[in-house]
Amino acid sequence: MAYRHFEFIEKHAWMLGILTASMVSLGGLAEILPTFVEANRVKLEAGGKPYEPLRLAGRDIYVREGCYLCHSQMIRALRFETQRYGRFSTAEESVYDRPFQWGSKRTGPDLARVGGKYSDDWQRVHLTEPRAVVPQSNMPAYPWLATAEIDAAEIAARMRTLRKLGDPYTDADIAAAAKALDGRTELDALVAYLQGLGVANEPRPAEANAAATAPVARTSP
Amino acid sequence: MSSGWSWWVIGLIVFNLGVTFLLFLWAPRAKVPVLPDGTTGHVWAHGVLREGMHRLPGWWIVASFAMYFIAFGYLVLYPGFGNHEGALGWTSGRELAAATAANSAKLDPVLQRLAAMSVEAVAGDAQAQRLGARLFVDNCAACHGRDGLGNTRLGAPNLTDADWLYGGTGQDITTSIRGGRTGVMPPWSTLGEATVKSLAQYVLSLSGQPHDAAGAVSGEPTFKTNCVACHGPQGKGNPLLGAPNLTDDIWLYGGTLAAMETTIRDGRQGHMPAWSPRLSDDDIHVLAGYVYHLAHGADAAAR
Repeated sequence: MAYRHFEFIEKHAWMLGILTASMVSLGGLAEILPTFVEANRVKLEAGGKPYEPLRLAGRDIYVREGCYLCHSQMIRALRFETQRYGRFSTAEESVYDRPFQWGSKRTGPDLARVGGKYSDDWQRVHLTEPRAVVPQSNMPAYPWLATAEIDAAEIAARMRTLRKLGDPYTDADIAAAAKALDGRTELDALVAYLQGLGVANEPRPAEANAAATAPVARTSP
Repeated sequence: MSSGWSWWVIGLIVFNLGVTFLLFLWAPRAKVPVLPDGTTGHVWAHGVLREGMHRLPGWWIVASFAMYFIAFGYLVLYPGFGNHEGALGWTSGRELAAATAANSAKLDPVLQRLAAMSVEAVAGDAQAQRLGARLFVDNCAACHGRDGLGNTRLGAPNLTDADWLYGGTGQDITTSIRGGRTGVMPPWSTLGEATVKSLAQYVLSLSGQPHDAAGAVSGEPTFKTNCVACHGPQGKGNPLLGAPNLTDDIWLYGGTLAAMETTIRDGRQGHMPAWSPRLSDDDIHVLAGYVYHLAHGADAAAR
């Protein structure tokens, strides 16, 4: 390769762009492509179930309202995170999340294991009127959720779509959606979703990393 | 990662490092034509800008070469070269385990010292208060408030007064935190709205508040029939059931007449979640001491 080749690259932006892109993509080819192609190997242990209709509706409301913009659902393998939030998150826990809710952008706390931490009542008041329970909170209020009803037929359709993508819903599961969602509001669904986070499909302690099991929240002296 | 993908990654690394190495070999030998004026002849902006010619500084080449060799060291020591685990055996899980162990080495002696003490004694311990305050704001403050003053929207009790639904000994507090509590006041709307209103007047009279005397009189028999089982004949409550004392003018859901009528009509099932196993027993012990401290303040230190 002689200098005149370089001169050609330098003076032709399209060639510079193509060559830059191909060199930069080497990193992605090594770091992203293998895990992307092998993502189907990540499987929940036996007994793991996809979202039941109410929680599925809640998950979609969570995404629709942009909760992920302030709340991550990914506890990193760092001591100060496992102390506060519990055992670190694993890929298996997110197999039914489309899209996954990982991230490290936190204006509010991580929610990966928030299920059961507060009462249903607390979640309702907090979503409708955050400052009634946390005076210093800067979370927006979502009062309309309490009156918005859920279209059961639409959730059943989403379940059929998810089944095409590989989620193991049975016909009976989908048929039962209408009954499960009857008379439920979006607030009910979102609370049910939040109360299942870190509870449903959580790996059993024996199978998780021994270093991070058992007492999940410890204080620093 | 399967061995196929491992080789894929190895191939990309070798290619990348190889290309870089060839660049190191080639670049110093590259012949760059230079015009008599010292520029390369490349012009921009119709000749206003002309490209000069300078060799890379020596320090830059040395630093760049050093980083190239650091890459080899990194790939030997740490995971990255396909499935090679790295000579140091580093994983994020092991790093976490080491960090957790280092923290436990500092924290465990403190927790063991406190575990040997009663909750009442822990309440007076300065170190325990610092630990407890941290645990409290992260876990309890959402309902009970940062200062432990409670929240009538949720029926979360004030923890700083002397009134305890389920008993205020260290053991009672520990039990409440560990297993949680669920209120079980049933709705009484079946008694009819008029009875609900007269009951509310009677309940107001129990704590000596302004009330409608006639309503209270008509509410009393209903109270004696339906409410005494939990709240007791004098309305003093029952800590075994978590039935509140109705005579002390302390109200979980606020002391307004409307709140009282709602409580009687619709019942209340205030819920405190169980904190075991989310919190370890040692943490719950420290927290119970902190809550005891909130209620007893300076008294706790004297015990």
